[in-house]
This record gives sequence, structure tokens and C-alpha cells, in this order.
Amino acid sequence: MKEIFMRWDTLLFQYFKRDWKKILIWVLGIGIFSAGYVPAFIEITKDNKALIGMYQTLQNPAMTSIIGPTPIDTATDYTLGAMYSHTMLLFCGLFSMIMSALHIVGHTRKEEDLGILELVRSFHIGRQANSLAALKEISIINILITIFIGGLMYSFNAETISLEGAFLFGASIGMAGILGGALALVMSQIMSSSSSATGSTLGIIGLLYIIRAATDVSNIKLSMINPLSWTYLTYPFTEDNWLPLLFAFILSIVLVVLAFALEGNRDMGAGYLPEREGRAHAKQSLLSIPGLFIRINRGVIIAWLVGYLVLSVTYGSIYGDMETFLNSSEIVQQMFNFAGFSIEESFTSTIMMVMMGLVCILPIIIVNKLYNVESRLYISQLHATKVTRGQFYWVNIGLAVLSGLLGIFAVAIGLGGTAISVMSDSSRMEILDFFAAGLNFLPAILFFIGLAALALGWLPGLGKTVYVYLTYSFVLNYFSGILDLPNWFIKTAIKSWIPRMPMENFDGTIFFTITAISIGMIVMGYIGYKNRDMVEGS
Amino acid sequence: MDMTEIVKLQGVQKNFGKFQALKDVTFTVDEEQVVGFIGPNGAGKSTTIRILLGILQRSGGEAKIFGKDVWKESLAIHKRISYVPGEVVLWKNLTGGGIIDLFLKLHGGRDKKKRDYLIERFELDPKKKAKTYSKGNRQKVGLIAALSVNSDLYIFDEPTSGLDPLMEYVFQDEVANLKKEGKSVLLSSHILSEVERLADKVVIIRQGEIVETGTLDELRHLTRTTVTLATEEDVNKIASLKGVHDFIQEGNEARFSVDNKYINTILQEATKLGVKQFEAVPPTLEDLFMRYYEE
Repeated sequence: MKEIFMRWDTLLFQYFKRDWKKILIWVLGIGIFSAGYVPAFIEITKDNKALIGMYQTLQNPAMTSIIGPTPIDTATDYTLGAMYSHTMLLFCGLFSMIMSALHIVGHTRKEEDLGILELVRSFHIGRQANSLAALKEISIINILITIFIGGLMYSFNAETISLEGAFLFGASIGMAGILGGALALVMSQIMSSSSSATGSTLGIIGLLYIIRAATDVSNIKLSMINPLSWTYLTYPFTEDNWLPLLFAFILSIVLVVLAFALEGNRDMGAGYLPEREGRAHAKQSLLSIPGLFIRINRGVIIAWLVGYLVLSVTYGSIYGDMETFLNSSEIVQQMFNFAGFSIEESFTSTIMMVMMGLVCILPIIIVNKLYNVESRLYISQLHATKVTRGQFYWVNIGLAVLSGLLGIFAVAIGLGGTAISVMSDSSRMEILDFFAAGLNFLPAILFFIGLAALALGWLPGLGKTVYVYLTYSFVLNYFSGILDLPNWFIKTAIKSWIPRMPMENFDGTIFFTITAISIGMIVMGYIGYKNRDMVEGS
Repeated sequence: MDMTEIVKLQGVQKNFGKFQALKDVTFTVDEEQVVGFIGPNGAGKSTTIRILLGILQRSGGEAKIFGKDVWKESLAIHKRISYVPGEVVLWKNLTGGGIIDLFLKLHGGRDKKKRDYLIERFELDPKKKAKTYSKGNRQKVGLIAALSVNSDLYIFDEPTSGLDPLMEYVFQDEVANLKKEGKSVLLSSHILSEVERLADKVVIIRQGEIVETGTLDELRHLTRTTVTLATEEDVNKIASLKGVHDFIQEGNEARFSVDNKYINTILQEATKLGVKQFEAVPPTLEDLFMRYYEE
């Protein structure tokens, strides 16, 4: 038995020597991210009203499904500590779990794929010593994280942050890491390559997250059988329940024993699940330029659309508690209150502008993708076929416009659908109003496509700077309600020109002018793209 | 226009900003000819090929394929050519077979029988996703896609990088077949034995200029042959003759190199001294190559 782990300590020492910088950044990063917001929370919750306001805002199914539950039943019991673990623990635990999982795959299956492990094993070192060393490393890292978080949180000397709670909070995050590492070690044995080991581990964690979203909302008792939930069901600073961590510890040991048994029975480089065979011939749908670009952008498009939908459902769910939310802080009031309109309408117009800022990102990604595949040589062989540069260009622009429209629809359906359902009869708006408010921003999206297209045609290296302008105008629009900025300055952001529906009326002149300018930029971009040298490999 | 000139480059120049990548590129590829295009890294081989493909626009000179301008009429040209880059980059999540089908479809004129034959010949597993392919396997995907379509001109830019010797041989064999079918080929390569075996004509480029063009025989003629000579009388008389270089003497035996155009006079002088032994080794392509590179 000892022989298979022979000299694991040498390997562990090597790992620490190799990884110490990464470990330092990791422990500090995750520690500060998890514990460092305590002072900010103290600032926010100076008066008790704010805590009550936050409690009511966070106490709805949509928020619970995203950030997790709290054991508190009455708003007055919602302390700083309760709020901190409610809003932070699930995400910090998730983050820690993923970091450890990636690290384990990197040191086991990845090294196997790269052939490094083969070299290591040729020395006087046990067959499974590497896995043991990686596991010990991850355990030590997570113990360090636990201690660092506990100490840091307690050091802020906040009223409801107890010593026990602080270390339970840290231990929950550390245990999440160890559990993630153990899971990754099992998947590294079952899968036949490091990329599928990573993919399946992240897939399982994602699935557990979605399942817990459902059980947290419907029946919290069912969450108790979900390993991911064991991190936040410890409820630091309120119930201080250590029991879930014991479950997590036992499961980690079971997983580790399983992983070692699986590893002992397989050949190096092999897995238990074979790599899925692909198709020997292309599907008909791939065999064209539109087909190809839809295929290579598919993942990104779906991911962003799901993101838009989730975020707008979240905002939509606030409509029910609108009054409470708006009264929760002065800043929020200033941002969303406009005289003479229902809260619902003014809220929609602001949220729509924020969401449309995000919807602009996806089309820019797609336009920039064409330069990306060009400079990385993906299409050099295709340039020598009868495909024209015009086809490459217009297919990409078309796909960008289409994805912008889909983004608008996702937001309108997510926001409008949820808002109308949570407000039931009291709603003054219909779903079509949400669509109109969204489509009203179409020229702005076209404008960003136009900017990206200009860059693609004339100065392709500058494609990424479009995001800089997007961020600039996003920030400007977001804060123009709070700060008293000169009008010309606000107008440097393209979205400032567009009336905010449903509060303001649709302006056809502006709509068509910006659209025309955008189309002009896109055509200019085409002229540049058609005539410039393709950039290959630089 | 002379119909036998498939590719014609005349004084082609290319500037990237201030840097002049191509100064003067002039050569032709004739019908049914295999032209080997050789030169050190950074000499301008790929730049020349990218100009021919309409990926880059030339700064000066004339470049035509099938008598058509490579920039303005690139589409008409592309219907009749195949191209394999030296670095085939594939979409990781698509299978090799899927990518080959896509290339064939976008090129037009696909030949499924030829495709299946080549997949088998190059021993490619078309069901594997591209992310699992090695460099050599990615190169095979590019080669199969290019060779499966019926073109009049094939342009290869160091196509065999990463292939094992067996597959390299398969590639050479397929190019030999193209030659038999009367196709024209422009082959840029580092593997001189490959060029030596296939090429009817060799074009050598150095620092953006064509320094030599001709058949292998012609090129050999331009350079020196290495001679070992043993004579009955003092061999030293040879040393002072025109065209003799690097003369090394050991007793009555000498080794030297000689410009090919003077080889006749040297032979005549040698017979006067009474030849005991004469050995002449013609230069290999590698010798030629080294001569141009080292200058």
C-alpha cells in the first residue's frame, strides 16, 4: 500500500516550490474577496432601515434562486452578519470550489495529457503519489484560506461578526474547495482527457447550482441533500451550524477513496468513459459561410442570451417590491424617481437602458470574432476558395444584428414577463410596452456594430477599444441621473440621444438618423475590409 | 498572353510600412510544371504566396494567375486553384471529416471518392474532434481538403511540416500524380529532397528577391563541382587555372571546387599531367541552397 504513494512528499514539496506565487495570490484573492467587504457592509447598514430594506428586496424567489436563502424570518432580526453570509457565502464557496477543481485537474490529468507524469513516474516514485501530493496541496491551501478568512473577518470587529461565525464562514469556503478538488480528482479518472475532466466537473457543479436554486425556493429541506448547499446551509452569524461541513468532509473522503481506486485500476492516459466520437461527415447545416459562423459563435450567443434572460428576470422580480426597494436608499430614489410617472414606468426606462448596454456586448463580440479568426489563421485556407470577403463580412454583420435583436427580445420577455406576473393586476404596462422600450434602443446597438465594423475594416487591432467606449457610455448613462453633468458631456454617450421609453415618447427622427449613421459606418467598414491586407499570424 | 504561363509574377513588391518584404519577385509557373519555391525563413515565400491568393495586396509589379490579375479577379482564379498553408488551424470543436466537407463545399467541385481515398491514404481518423489532432494531423486535413478538389493549379506553402516521413512520401506521391495529370504546382518547401524529387524548376528567394531560377540542371551548371584529382606529374599546376577554388594538395592528389563552365579546360590540363584518378561530384540542391544562404 505504501509503495504506490512512495515519495509523495517530494512531489508535494516540488508543487509548493512551483506554485507558491499562485497560492499566495489565490489565498489572498479569495480571502479578501470573501471577507474584505465587511467594512463596506458596515457603511451601508449604518442605520437599521437599510437592513430592513435590503431584507425585503432580497426576500423574493428570484433573488433566493441566485444568491441563496437566509434562515431569518423577520426583518428586524436581519443583522449585518446575517446579510453578509446571505449575500456572499454561496458565491464565495462556488468560486473556491471551481478554483480547487481547476487546480486538481491541472496537476493530475493535465500533466498526464502533457506527458509530464510519464516522466515523473519513470523515477523512483509511487504510481499514485502524484494524486496524493496534489490532494494534500489543495487541502493545505484550503486550510490556509479558512484561517485567513476567519481571522480577517473577525479583525474588522463588527458587532454581529462573532469569532465562531467568522471561522465557520471561512471553513465553509475552505471545505467547498476541498470538495471541489475531490470531485475533480474523480472526474480526472473517469474522463479520457483533461478538457473533458474540467468540463464534466464544472458541469456537475453547475447542475448542483441549478438544482439548489429550485429547492431553495420550493423546499429548503431538499437542499440539505445537495453537496453544493452544504457550504451556505452552515448559516454563519445566525445559526452557526457545523453539521453540513461534516457531511461535506465525509463525502470528500468517499470521493477521494473512489478516485484512488479508479486510478489504481486504469492505464496511464486512459479513462473509463471513452472520448465521444464525432461525425465523419459534416451536417448539411454547417456547409456554408452562415452555417460555419453560426456554429462557431453558437456557444457564445447562447451563453449571453441566457445571461440576459436571467438578469432581466431578476430585475423583473423586483417590480413586486418596487416601493420598498426604491425607499431603501436615497441614491436609488434619485436614480429611479422622475416626477409625473409611475414608479413602474420610470424603473423600466432606467433598467432597459442598463440592460441594453449589456445587450450591445454580444454583437461587438461577434464582429470582433471575424478579425480573431483571421489573425489566428483559421480562415487562411478558406480565402483561397470562391468565398468572397463580402460574404465573410456581411454574414458576420448579419449575425451581429440578429444577436442584438435576440438580446432585446430576451430582455423584453424576461423583464416584462416577470414584472407583469409579479405585479398581477396592478401593472399598468403590457408586454408590448417592454418590447417597444427595448427595440427603441436598436439604433444604439447598430451604432456599436458600426463602430466595431469600422475597426474591422480599417484598423482591426482597435476592435477591442469599442468596449472602452461602451463602458464609458454605460457609466455615463448610469450616473447621469445622480450627478449634475453638463448636457454636451452626457450626449457623448450614444444612448443619451435616445429617448427613454416608456417615460419619454418615441422619436422617429433620432431613431432613423442614428440607424442611418450606423449603416453608413458598416458600409465604410466593408470598403476597408474589402481592400485591406488580411492580417495573418501577427 | 502566353497560354502556357499559369502563374506570372513580374517585379512584384510588397511593403509593410517602412519594411520592404518583397523587393523584386519575378518568376513563372508554366502549364504542367512543378515549381519548387525555396528560401530561408523570412525571405518572402509566404508573402509571395499570399499575394498570389489575394490575401495581401502587392505594392508594385504585376501578378497574374491564368492571365487574370490576382487581386482584382481573385474569385475567378480561386475556382480553379487549391491551397494548403504551412500552419493549418482548425476549429477545435469540429471533427476533421466535418471540416474537410466544409472546405470542399466552399471550394466547389468536390469529389467524394477522391476524398474518401485520401482520408484512407493519409490514415486520418475523420471522426475525431480537431482539438485532439496533432500538428501533423491538422496538416493532413488541409492536404486532403486541397487534394480532393479538381483544380488546375495547386499552391502548397510548406505543406508537410509535422508529417512523418511515411506521410511525407504519400504527399510526394500525390503531387507526382498531379504532375502526371498535367496540373501545375507551386511548392514552397524546406525539404530539399522533396523539391529535388518533384520540381521541374527551382526558384530561390532571398531577402525579398529572386536570386536564381532554372531547372535543377541549369542551376547545377551555375555552380561548382567538387573534384578530386590525382596525377602523375605535379598537380599544383592546376591550382593557378581559372575557375579553380579552394585548392588543397596532398602529395600528388588534390581536392578543389571548380566553376562548371571551366570544367573542360581543367580536364584538358589534367590529361597533360597524366590522370591517375578523377572524381567529380555535382552539387546537391542543398549545396546550391547553402551557397545562396551563406552570402
